[in-house]
Amino acid sequence: MSAAGIAVVGVNHRTAPLDVRERFAHAAREVPAALERVLAAGAGGGVLLSTCNRTEFYLADPEAAVPEAVWATLSDRLGDGRSASAYGYVQRDRDAVRHLYRVSAGLDSMILGESQIQGQVREAWEIAKPQAGPVLHRLFQSALLVGARVRSETGLALGAASAPSAAVRVAGKIFTKLTGRSALILGAGDVAELAASCLGAEGVRVTLVANRTYERATAIAEALGARALPLDEAWDHFAEADIVLCSTAAPHAVVTWQRVAPAIARRGGRPLCILDLAVPRDVEPAVGQLENVFLYDIDDLQAVAAQAAAERRHEIPAAERIVSEEVERFWVWYGGRGIVPVLTEFRDRLEAVRQAELERALRRLGHLAPDDRNQIEQFSHALLNKFLHHPTLALKQAAAAGRSYGLLDALRQLFGLERPHDS
Amino acid sequence: MLIPHLIALGLYALATGFALAPFAGRRPVPRGLTLGVPLAGVLVHGAAMTRVPLVGVAPALSMLALFLILLQVGSEAAFRASAVALFTGPLATGLVGLALLIGPGPGTGAARPAAPSAWSTLHITVSILGLALLALAFIAAALYLLQFRELKTKRFGPVFRLFPPLERLDQLNYLALVLGFPAVTLGVLLGYGVRYAGGVAVDPAQVVWGTLTWLLLGWTVGVRVVRHWAGRRAAFASIASFTAVLLVYLALKLSAPGSERFL
Repeated sequence: MSAAGIAVVGVNHRTAPLDVRERFAHAAREVPAALERVLAAGAGGGVLLSTCNRTEFYLADPEAAVPEAVWATLSDRLGDGRSASAYGYVQRDRDAVRHLYRVSAGLDSMILGESQIQGQVREAWEIAKPQAGPVLHRLFQSALLVGARVRSETGLALGAASAPSAAVRVAGKIFTKLTGRSALILGAGDVAELAASCLGAEGVRVTLVANRTYERATAIAEALGARALPLDEAWDHFAEADIVLCSTAAPHAVVTWQRVAPAIARRGGRPLCILDLAVPRDVEPAVGQLENVFLYDIDDLQAVAAQAAAERRHEIPAAERIVSEEVERFWVWYGGRGIVPVLTEFRDRLEAVRQAELERALRRLGHLAPDDRNQIEQFSHALLNKFLHHPTLALKQAAAAGRSYGLLDALRQLFGLERPHDS
Repeated sequence: MLIPHLIALGLYALATGFALAPFAGRRPVPRGLTLGVPLAGVLVHGAAMTRVPLVGVAPALSMLALFLILLQVGSEAAFRASAVALFTGPLATGLVGLALLIGPGPGTGAARPAAPSAWSTLHITVSILGLALLALAFIAAALYLLQFRELKTKRFGPVFRLFPPLERLDQLNYLALVLGFPAVTLGVLLGYGVRYAGGVAVDPAQVVWGTLTWLLLGWTVGVRVVRHWAGRRAAFASIASFTAVLLVYLALKLSAPGSERFL
């Protein structure tokens, strides 16, 4: 890899299993040190995007040794001698820009179109601001705009494409607002905890956690700021809760008509949303027949999620078109950003040569009349302008087409010009 | 008056198309358009209505359409209940079209009727506003029942995706009822007043059936406000009372046709 351009080096949910991704995940406090180590191998700037589904180093002007530095940094986290490069990928220049834009738009997410990644991209950029450098600042700023544009101009983010988000969607079709609603959790399964956090993000308050093992209920209740109670004492609380999340490990239905119908009768017609996420199911189907009780099991929620995912897939071509447009726009900026200083330096260098050679020639031709000397000077100007005309034009045209980067690099190398300062 | 009504008709038809588009598998129209187009229609239509004497069926139908679209815009703006337009859009478009056919343009016949008194105009306006509000309550109740069925049967189709949440529809129904009932009551009282002042006898059948309908409406509002009925029961009551209003109107109209009454 040359010391120019943009690169992304990393792993994601397609290339690495969960246990590997978990090891690669960086907490916010670990990011500056990790970036420092990678940038020390030679790069103009870096941003580390680390989520549960990806760990990616975005790098500006990386030297050839930089990918190895990334793999070494990640391999250390595996701690078992395996090389991280076996799980990863390297993409460069336009492909790297496209990759980030697709990530920000949710096109590269495990759940197509999910919007959480937009916040994660923003957070990664915020954390890495001191180390990002101007090119990556611009890249990440534009990536956030691309994400926003895709979400507003296409239906990629519409609907609920995962079971927990489908739970939120279903509850949102019953209640006007989820903010301030109370939820009762039965069981202490991971799925219920995940769904509870999704509902919590919408403002739902988990008030009670009931479990057969009281200690486990207490642990989860403390984490959610709720009250714990034994499972057998939960039935009466069906009178107050707006949403009930069930995920016990019971081998048979624990929420039966006989247990909850009396409490539900006291609700006075207020709707009750029961989300049964357990397999096998926790809630007897008869409970769903009660007036104003809306019962959904995991299959129902997955049907909602699958429907949304299918609808989102129709939006991929439109989203990809936006990404391609924006990649070209960025690349025009990126290619053109160095053209002015390089052209100025190129012209100054040749002008200095012209002046030196002119002076030397005029010293030898001291017998010439002033008019003749002027003629020679004008000739040198015209010759230099003729020489500069075509390269200048070609560079400007290449910049307008987003292809100036290679030409600028060649110009720098051929004429020994300094690398321009990024603007 | 013909041209403004034709413009309003076109804008209402366009707004109806916007409302139907998502149900036909098209991408939902931006909210600015679903609010802006009918609102533009209301402005054109409203300006035209200020110059139409409220006499006869055509202006009444036209005004009913105007209020329906106004309530549609209000429901969308305040309750995000864009699905209301599924009913109000075609209904209002049809009513304006019918008014143009009867008119041939509202208030533009060869024998232009004399302008009614201010009290008569107020009576007609308030009564039609009340009727439009009751129609909105009916629509909200119908949408509620459709969404209720969708949620209970777990179909997750267009109704699930495009209709508002149950609670919001219930709130819209409540608001339309508690505003519509006093408006209808005031309209009826003003009507009696106008007739009494003009020395015109009131048809006994109109009094009996009108009172029964008013009582049914009053009961519907009563159970909602006093007994806190909500959900399906309230939706059924709302639908029943509005249906009664329509049936009584049709029965009276068919039994004693004429244009001396605005409806």
